[in-house]
This record gives sequence, C-alpha cells and structure tokens, in this order.
Amino acid sequence: MSPVRTAIVATGQSDHGRRFDASMGEIAREAIDRCLASRGLSFDDIDAVVAGNMEMFEGIYLVDQYLVGALGALDKPLYKMNTGGTVGASTALACYHLVASGRHQRVLGVGFQKQTEGSTQSAITTVGDPVWERAIMAGAIGNFASMASTYIAESGVTPEQAAKVAVKARRNACLNPHAHLKLPNITVEEVLESEMLAYPIHRLDMCPSSDGACAIVMAAESVAASLAEHPAWVHAVATSHDQQYMGDSPKRLAVMRSLQAATKKAYGLAGITSPRRDFDVAELYEPASYAELAWYENVGLCPMGDGGKLIDEGATLIDGDIPVNPSGGVLSTNPVGATAMIRVAEAAMQVMGEAGEHQIPEVQRALATGYGGNAWTDVMILSRELPATAEVEA
Amino acid sequence: MATAPGTDTWIIGCGEARTAVRRDDVSITELAWEAVAPALTDAGTSLPEIEGAVTASQDFWDGRTISSMSVNELVGGAFGSEAKVAADACLGLGYALARVEDADQHLNLVVAHAKESQGDMHTIELAAFDPYFQRALGPDETVVAAFQAQLLYAQGLFEPSHAARVVAAARARSSSLDPLSAQDVLDSAPTADPLRELDRAPLLDCASAIVIAGGEHAARLARPRVRIVAAASRTGAYWSQRPELHTAPQARAAAEEALSIAGWEASDLDAIEINAPYAHQHLIVGHALGLGSGEELVRRFEGGGEGPAVNASGGWLGGSAGSVAGLHSVVSVFKRLRESGGRALAHSTTGIGTQSHHVVLLEASV
Repeated sequence: MSPVRTAIVATGQSDHGRRFDASMGEIAREAIDRCLASRGLSFDDIDAVVAGNMEMFEGIYLVDQYLVGALGALDKPLYKMNTGGTVGASTALACYHLVASGRHQRVLGVGFQKQTEGSTQSAITTVGDPVWERAIMAGAIGNFASMASTYIAESGVTPEQAAKVAVKARRNACLNPHAHLKLPNITVEEVLESEMLAYPIHRLDMCPSSDGACAIVMAAESVAASLAEHPAWVHAVATSHDQQYMGDSPKRLAVMRSLQAATKKAYGLAGITSPRRDFDVAELYEPASYAELAWYENVGLCPMGDGGKLIDEGATLIDGDIPVNPSGGVLSTNPVGATAMIRVAEAAMQVMGEAGEHQIPEVQRALATGYGGNAWTDVMILSRELPATAEVEA
Repeated sequence: MATAPGTDTWIIGCGEARTAVRRDDVSITELAWEAVAPALTDAGTSLPEIEGAVTASQDFWDGRTISSMSVNELVGGAFGSEAKVAADACLGLGYALARVEDADQHLNLVVAHAKESQGDMHTIELAAFDPYFQRALGPDETVVAAFQAQLLYAQGLFEPSHAARVVAAARARSSSLDPLSAQDVLDSAPTADPLRELDRAPLLDCASAIVIAGGEHAARLARPRVRIVAAASRTGAYWSQRPELHTAPQARAAAEEALSIAGWEASDLDAIEINAPYAHQHLIVGHALGLGSGEELVRRFEGGGEGPAVNASGGWLGGSAGSVAGLHSVVSVFKRLRESGGRALAHSTTGIGTQSHHVVLLEASV
C-alpha cells in the first residue's frame, strides 16, 4: 500500500515562559486556537486529535481525558502519546501516520506542558530503571554533564565553543515572539561565568523549564493545497532508540547512535546525500549547548569531531549556510511535552515561509529532530516540494 | 491490497504472560517478555525482523516516567522504532495499524503491560481528578463508578444483581481467577454505594502481545492469520461534565464507524468482547451496542440468548488490567477466529467512568 502524501498545513504556539496567568488546558488551547485560526479552521474540520504530554511532570494521570474539552477532542479519536522528551515529535509522527495511512484527512496534534506546576528534575529522574539507575540519576543536568565530559574528552570541543551555541540560541530567541528565554546581550564570557551546575555544564549551557504548548494540523494531499499556500510536505519520518540501560551506550551521547540510525533511514527515504547542502535549516532538539555541537556531527552536518569547528565558522548562525535553531531552540524554550513538536512546527514554518523575523530566506527543505528517554530520536524531514512519488519504503 | 473493505493488515501471532495478583518473581521487563517471546514464535518471526512496536502502559501505574523504557529493548526498540500510547492497547493497535497501512512498518508488535501490584490504586486514581476543584475531596475511580451505577440503576433497566451475574460469568470463563457466584459479589464488602468490592476487576499483573503484518508479509510468513478489518475510537466528556454518565454513546459511535468501514451489519458478528473495570459498565456498553437490556443482556454475558457470543474470554473482569484489557480480548478473539472462523468486535475503554471507547473489528482469513 502506498502512503497518502501528507503535509503540515498549520502551526500554532502559545506564549512560552512562566505562565502563572493560565492553566495547562488554557495554554494548550491557546496554541490550538492560534493554529486553527491561522487557516480559518474549526474543530469541526478535525478528524482526530493526538496529544503529547508527560503526565508525571504535573502529576495529572490521564491528562488527555481530563483536558478533552480544551483539546477539542470530544466525540473524536484522541490518541495520547507518552514518549518523554521526544513526545512532541512522536505526536507529530502519529499525526503523520494517521493521515498517510488514509485513516484521516486532517489530524490535530498538540504538545503541552506546564512545568511550573511540577518537579521536572524529579520526573526525569524516574526515567531511570528503579533498581539499577535511579539512585544515580540526577535529572537532565547530570545526564548532560556526563555527556559533555565524554564529548570534551572524545572530540576536544571547548567550553567556549559550547558557550557560542548558548549565545546563538538566546539571541535567535529575541526574533521569536513565542520564545521563553530572550537574552539579546548575552556573551560567551557571561555563559562561562554563569553558575556551574555540574561540570562542565554552566547554568546558561542548559535549557530552561517552560510552560507552553504547540499545535500542528497534518493534512492529506487532497485537502492540503486548499489549506496552505505552501504546505510543508513530509518526505520522511523515522524513530530510533539506543539501548534500554544508559550504561550500555558507549561514549554516552557524544556518539548518539539512535540519531545516526534515524537520520540514516530518513535521509535514505528523502534522498538526502549531503545534509549540510541539502537542508536549508535544521531545528535540532538540543537540551544543552554541548548537545547541539554533538548533534551537528551525528546528523551529518559535519564530520565527527568537527562540531566545535562548525560553530566557530558561524555556519549554524541564523545567517550561516546551515542555520540551526533560528527559533532559539530548546535552550530558549522547553515545555517538555511541546518541545519536540516546536522543532517540527518551526521547521514547517520555515518551509511554509511563515517564521516571521527568524525566517531563513528561500527554505526548500528542513530537518527536525526530537530527543528524549534513553537517547531516543524522532526525525522528520519537511519540504516545500510535493514528494515525487507516494511510495515510501521502510 | 485488501480484497474486501477495511485494511490489509493481519494479526499473525499472539502471546500472553502468566496473569496473577502478584508476580513478584518477575520485573516488568520480564513480565512483558513472557508475552512477546511466544508472540514472535507464534508468528514465525524474530525480533530483528520486527520493524516497529507500539506499546501501551501508564507511567503512574509503573511509577516510571516513560514507562515503556522497561520494555523498549525487548520489543525491538534498540535501534528500532517504538512508540507508547498512554491508553488501552486497543487504541495502540489502532495506531500500529496506521503505521502498517502507510507502509512505514510492515511487521509491527503491539504490546501492553501492567504490574498493578506495584501501585497504590487510590493514590494513582486520585491524580486523574481535577486538581483545583475535585482532588481535595479524595475521590478515586470507584467513586465515579458508583455515581455511574446509581444513575444506571435509577433508570430501571438494570439492578445490582445483573452486574453481579456479569462478574460470575466472567469468572466462570477466567483462566487466571477463581470462579465465584453472583451472591459472592453481592455479599462482598461495600465500597461506594451501590458498588461492592467484587464489582471491580481485581488488580493484576499481566501482559499481552500480538504481531501484526501487512498483507504481503503476512502471506510470506504463512501463519494462520486474522484480519484487522477496522479500528475506531471516540472520546466522551470528562466525567464531571457528563450528566449522562450512565450511557456510552461514544461506544456506539465507535462501533458504528468501524462497522461502516467494514461494510458489516452488527448481525454479521460472531463474537463481541466488552471491556471495562466495573461490572455495571459492561451493562452500559452492552446496552449501547444494542445487545439488549436487563435480563436479556445479562443472559448474553452468561452465554445465553441469540446472536454473537459475548465475552467468551471473560474479559477484564475475568483477569486483565488497565492498558492491557483490550489487547487481552484481541488475543482471545484472535485465537478463537483462527480456529473456528468468523467475525468479532473487541471493545475497550480508557479514562475515569468509561470516558473513551475503542473498537477493533477482526475477521478470520477466508
């Protein structure tokens, strides 16, 4: 069976940050309303809803059922994805499959999180195996401190190079009306002088905890063109995981095997042979500055070990030859349930030419990744071009 | 392509863990493997051939953020694709079906696991209630089920003895729980009026798994197979915004959509499996699906009356768990259909007070 050609035709984001003015349902609805209104859609136009959220963060069990009204899913199929940091991307992938399979024509995806109402680091710590790993888990910071230490030893990347990523993100965020952490005057020195959380991770090397939501509408070819002038066509999706136990992943995340495996599959499907040349922009899920440098290497934007060199060249700056995270990335905005969907939505906005002040000129093809769990990767490749064939092989 | 309406996706193997009140002898990972390993064998395949998996479980019950981390490796997730739904596995099966139908993954595992002995039921269920206005009152799912039962019995179509007989019928067919009588149910300890302790399915440790395949791969593997003809789901309002708590229009709507996709009439079904955690909820769903009311419907659960066999497996009340129950029924139906042929509907639910309803239609290979 051939898949139905499928595109993202609408996106919407809430304002991200510390949202003491709104409940989690209201934040989700803010993103959904903006998404639907951008194309004059209503809930009557939506066939199914896919929700992404990590319930342990706010401590609401069956949160999709609780918020069914806010999510607009009454009397519709409501899928609840629950895959950790990737969940927003897993939600987008589920939207894709539900349309590409011919099951539905228009599917609404929404990722949301209100981290001010929960304990992020506690929830992340429970990702670890309760017997073997949990006692030594230290949330995301410990995880990326371990990763960064390994990465420094393996590649020779420097704290200054990582700090350049942190600076890039917060300056790009100033061009994004939805971003949480906007620091227009941030410098490399300021990053290096910020509080040391866990060697070598400084406070400004790490992503914030945000409240926020993101929504997309995924549509079938038969309706996509009538909904968006330039739909963001899905050319490939892929998911890959690393080993179940963190200790089984050699070199920790410096060599991220799931990212390599997922991009390899997706590149094969989309005909990507030279990522730096073939993509016009990338939205990578970088929870820490060092991670973005390593991800450059693992997605093939540069040879292994050259991530630091790429940022030194300025290639990934908003005016570089392969801009990475012009939205400000995860380092600027991180409502976990929405974070990976923001990567997908921002990539779609770039392809649709609707990214406003952080729009990269003439984007034809964009890469979005999601990260989570134990080195879990989701990948989506979007293009302004209709896929040449509806045939996609696994 | 399918030669009949519906999908060209097939169940080609199944497996289940040993179900018990406590499985202290195994971890969650080992429990799930007890289901996955025989499913792979039954399908004539092995983990390296599996292209993707959809799992169903709940973080709260497992006490673990991303509860599928416990089973990721054993479902082919290491450098493969696994995605988890936090809902009954019938919904997960619907998603897995889409991944096969769009040719992304030709051979897919669907796995559901629960180790309810490790969780505190009241604490977990309390977290499903509105944190601003309801949680301080200390409710749990039994409280809502009791409201629901009161409303149901007030309509005059059913009474507590009917629900008790549904439990007894399920236990009589159970492969994991001891039989009991309707009177045992009525004599059990009161929980929330009008419910008794045995009105609720006992908390259990269990896991179920199936292997599904697109038509070409199913034919290649040449195993006895059952077609997944259609899947549908509908979500109702949150319990406190649902004055008609004693009805299940979403169950009917989901079934009607699935039957429409299949091009079937309800009378074409040879078996129906209804799943819900409380006995009276089976009466609500059975009534919504047009199986009758009062004594007539109860007799259907007991094996009497005309029409399709109802809950021949015993269903959730006969021994399963949240997230798993729907897949347990699918496994039961799969076994039945590949031996004796026919068509079946498997139903399950997610949410407090049977909020979401999921339906899967299955047909033996002809």
